[in-house]
Amino acid sequence: MTRKIFTGIISVAVLVMCLCSAFLIGILYEYFGNIVSAELKNEAYFISKGISAEGDEYLNEITDFRNRITVINTDGSVFYDSSGDAQSMDNHSLREEVKEAFATGEGSSSRYSDTLGTRNLYYALKMDDGRVLRVSGKVNSVWSLVLGVLQPMTVVLVLAIIAAGLLSSAIAKHILRPVNSIDLNNPELDEPYEELAPLLKKIRVQNSRIKSQMHELKRKQTEFSIITENMSEGFLIIDDKTEILSYNSAALRLLGVSAEDAAKSRSVLAINRSESFRTAVELALDGKHNEQPMSIGESCSHIVSNPVFHDGNVTGVIIIILDVTEKEQREQLRREFTSNVSHELKTPLTTIYGISDMLAGGIVKADDVKGFSETIRSEASRMITLIDDIIKLSRLDENGSGIEKCDVDIFETAKAVAGRLAHTAEKAGVSVSVKGESCFVYGAPAILEEMIYNLTENAIKYNCENGKVIITAEAVNGRPVVIVEDTGIGIPDEAQKRVFERFYRVDKSHSRRIGGTGLGLSIVKHAAAFHNADLKLESKVNVGTKITVAF
Amino acid sequence: MRIVFEEMLEHLNVELIKMGALCEDAITCAVKALLDGNSEMAEKAYAAEKAIDDKEREIEALCMKLLLRQQPVAKDLRTVSSALKMISDMERIGDQASDIAEITKFISGDNSFGKTHIKDMAEAAVKMVTDSVNSFVKSDLNAAKCVIIEDDTVDELFIKVKDELIALIAEDPKKGEYCIDIMMIAKYLERIGDHATNIAEWVEYSITGTHKNEKRND
Repeated sequence: MTRKIFTGIISVAVLVMCLCSAFLIGILYEYFGNIVSAELKNEAYFISKGISAEGDEYLNEITDFRNRITVINTDGSVFYDSSGDAQSMDNHSLREEVKEAFATGEGSSSRYSDTLGTRNLYYALKMDDGRVLRVSGKVNSVWSLVLGVLQPMTVVLVLAIIAAGLLSSAIAKHILRPVNSIDLNNPELDEPYEELAPLLKKIRVQNSRIKSQMHELKRKQTEFSIITENMSEGFLIIDDKTEILSYNSAALRLLGVSAEDAAKSRSVLAINRSESFRTAVELALDGKHNEQPMSIGESCSHIVSNPVFHDGNVTGVIIIILDVTEKEQREQLRREFTSNVSHELKTPLTTIYGISDMLAGGIVKADDVKGFSETIRSEASRMITLIDDIIKLSRLDENGSGIEKCDVDIFETAKAVAGRLAHTAEKAGVSVSVKGESCFVYGAPAILEEMIYNLTENAIKYNCENGKVIITAEAVNGRPVVIVEDTGIGIPDEAQKRVFERFYRVDKSHSRRIGGTGLGLSIVKHAAAFHNADLKLESKVNVGTKITVAF
Repeated sequence: MRIVFEEMLEHLNVELIKMGALCEDAITCAVKALLDGNSEMAEKAYAAEKAIDDKEREIEALCMKLLLRQQPVAKDLRTVSSALKMISDMERIGDQASDIAEITKFISGDNSFGKTHIKDMAEAAVKMVTDSVNSFVKSDLNAAKCVIIEDDTVDELFIKVKDELIALIAEDPKKGEYCIDIMMIAKYLERIGDHATNIAEWVEYSITGTHKNEKRND
């Protein structure tokens, strides 16, 4: 803009100066012509007066010729010429100025001489004796005039242009300074020119619109990130070149990638290039929705990838990663449980079937029948216990619906359990004692008794010779607590997590001798969960086990 | 023009990651076929090898296009040229993996190799391939150097396996053929280790601009 203003001003200045110079030259030319013809007129007048006073001798007295003087007889022949031989000159009666002088007393004309580049001015005057006196002078032509004044004029012009340039640049800067210093964020604060007002108003309106749009965008982005960040599912958006556009932290957690690595890598394949992930991405880029199972380390995930269509082309992929580790583990547990149950049920049944087969075949000696019947009885009772346990468990699994609750004194329950198990304890050579005070728990009496019974029975079974079992029922900080402690064989660290699983046995061969279904602690766990109680296990191998149930 | 170039380079990077991943699949499947006697895995290794060959062609064409049309310089030129070298190493890994899968067919049912260190060797080789691809994906100089050092472990294991196989033949000369098959597998694994080292060296070159050969000349 500065440049434009500058060139505008300077070109106007140059144009004006050139036009002025041309006008000046034209006026000067006209002016010089007039001066010369007036001079000629005067000279002719004086010479004619001289001739009439002194006669033709006067002509010879004039020696300083600035102009050419000619005297023409009435017949047109040249009587005298200051420039040369008058006799050889041809008749002048046809010359325009001479003809005019003969007719009216005076005449003038001008003729160009192309060769000399000059203009000749003639003035003719009819003298008193009838002859004509002609005086002629030269005037420079326009071009010679121009040439004459060119040098000084150029100097003046150049000086003028330089001055104009300096001035115009200063003016241009001065005009633009306020425009440049407008604060575009707050255009209303200064308004240097009223011509800019509509523009500044528009900027102001747009500023406020941009501000509100930015605000809206930010809000939407926050909304989006709140939604994605709080999803437990991994969420990834990639474009058709597998470049990551967006992701949430759950995706990084499930893929086992640090945020740093994710920020560095452009392609999603740099984050994970496992076969199932690649297949998921490639199929989706081909426009096919698909689901793939994937395992990373110990966790299992499920990848759902959806192509994003725009104008019929795949422009990206949305990948959702679901953590199915827990589900998979539960599935695993259920499978194990089913196979365990069928195994546990089958073992006594096989024995019963075998023995009954022999009995039916009549190959058993009469003396042995009693022994065999005893075996059938014990196996059948084992099965009944097992099925009882399973029924209890499944009832607890169904959140114990339909089980009535009332206030139960757990101290009394513990004493009752100790009484029921006194015989077993005696056989195992273990002493059982009950400590504490009476405290009440709102719960199902049968389940609570079952729970304490199972814990105590375990404490007796997995104890050593002359071991001790202490059952404590008391209120700690207002919470009813049951603690069953023993001085038994303990549970190894690695098994401590798993003892509450169904059918889990720390030592399989040992358990066979001791008996039991392997469901005891599992029932305890479910019973505790039913009463919203916390279960805590502390154990050291060959020192003892302490199980605390805090209601 | 630069945008097109950037996009092409990123495309090359993605394709290389894919090819590296295919190599990992091929060698993992081949090793599974060997250790578990799983013929399905052997088939998967063949399929991966075919895919690797196709990918090599594709990446080669892409590199040529990049070189001709974009005339990269400095680091970009190193990236493209090391990519060209890397794919031939990856292709070799694929071939050797499928060779291992091929041999597993003849030795299925007999796992006397359980006594030898071939399992350790296979696992070390798989780890090397995975680590070398990782070092490329993350442009991680340290990881690349670790792979180069790791190669010594595989070489040592190779010697160990060789001695063990010699002892096995001496014990039972009838097992000669079987032992030689295992020996071949060991050799292939050793070569795979070398190729993984090469890949790591090219990663190092593309990052630092110096290849191991140049260092030796110093």
